[in-house]
Amino acid sequence: MSAIQLSRKEKMLVHCAPIREERVDDRALRTALHRARKTEAFAVQQNFDTAVAALVQSIPIPEEITDWIPPDTFIAPRRRRWQKYAQNPAFLATGIAVLVIAIVGIFQLVERMNRFPGETTARRLLTTASSTHAMMLDPVKTDAGALGDFLFMKHRLVRYDVPPEFAELKTLGCRVFDDEEGQRVAQIWVVEKKMQFFLFPAERDPKTGKAREFSGWRSIEQEHWAGVVKEDKGVCFMATLRGSAKDLAQYVSKKKE
Amino acid sequence: MAEEKQNLLQLYRFCFLMLADAAEAQEVFHATLREAAQLAAGSEAPRNRLWFFRNARWRCLEAGEQGLQAEAVDLKQDELAESAPSQIEKLEPQQFAIWISGAPEPQRTALALFYLDEFNYRELLSVTELKPPELSKLLCDGRRQFQAWLDATLPRTET
Repeated sequence: MSAIQLSRKEKMLVHCAPIREERVDDRALRTALHRARKTEAFAVQQNFDTAVAALVQSIPIPEEITDWIPPDTFIAPRRRRWQKYAQNPAFLATGIAVLVIAIVGIFQLVERMNRFPGETTARRLLTTASSTHAMMLDPVKTDAGALGDFLFMKHRLVRYDVPPEFAELKTLGCRVFDDEEGQRVAQIWVVEKKMQFFLFPAERDPKTGKAREFSGWRSIEQEHWAGVVKEDKGVCFMATLRGSAKDLAQYVSKKKE
Repeated sequence: MAEEKQNLLQLYRFCFLMLADAAEAQEVFHATLREAAQLAAGSEAPRNRLWFFRNARWRCLEAGEQGLQAEAVDLKQDELAESAPSQIEKLEPQQFAIWISGAPEPQRTALALFYLDEFNYRELLSVTELKPPELSKLLCDGRRQFQAWLDATLPRTET
């Protein structure tokens, strides 16, 4: 046999070497045994241990026990509960990752569901609303619903009508301007809650030129300002106020013809 | 690593090695199984197979305290002999159990569990509650002391 010198730690592990190979499940122990197998001392130790183990296995089992417990009765390993698996770092990390992905996915889904054609313009106009003063508008005192004719007659804006939900509110002023994209936008200031209305062309499909329609009211929020938007016959109407979408919910929830 | 199934009769052999008395070993064996059954009935089944050996170990130590105690003496140690297997073959299991049961704790438990050949390294450390260098020294010394006892009891027939 070669004169292999085992380190102190290797010697320590080799002294604890299990008798059967299949019991070696420790990496350091396996490495130590790999080196120790080349030594004579280890072969002697293995033969010694094997002989003693065989002697132990020959310990007779009393009849009182074999009658009661068959020789092939095993202590079943306890089933791991899900809590045990959950404590495993690999499962824990995977679980957290899946949870984060799910949360991000849900957020994106909700965001996508809330998107509507013309949202970009609506958000831009929400910024306009936050920086507008009443004095910037021409004073017009009437019902908001009556301004549709005014806008048509004076500015040739077709179907720029205030929806029935907001038609009865009293106005303070009105103006028409061109936005960054050259679209004609009507802005109306009403008395109630200092709300502002915007009427602007709906987003159009660049290929067909048709207005992209959407049904019902859609809400947006931006920097403490909220808006609700509705599309009708190629024109979008947006009501805005400083506050949250909840403040506008009461208007859009009531059905009016 | 998946937990292995454990032959229940090995538990009896462990008790026998610890006590070197079949009647006492049976008593500890039954008491351990009874406690496991009671726990299982109360939905508190033993956590793993090592529980049986830990439980039996403490029962054996309790039983051992009532009898004669091994003296703490430095036993003679011999280098392991190539002819040791042939010496061991001539032994009766009872003789080996008497030798093991006479060893001081925790060497007694370490040797009994080691030679049952049922546990891996980590499990041995867990049940014996020893540190790796301690377990290593106890096993190494145990082998040499047993070799010295073999040499005294059954002199070598060198070839």
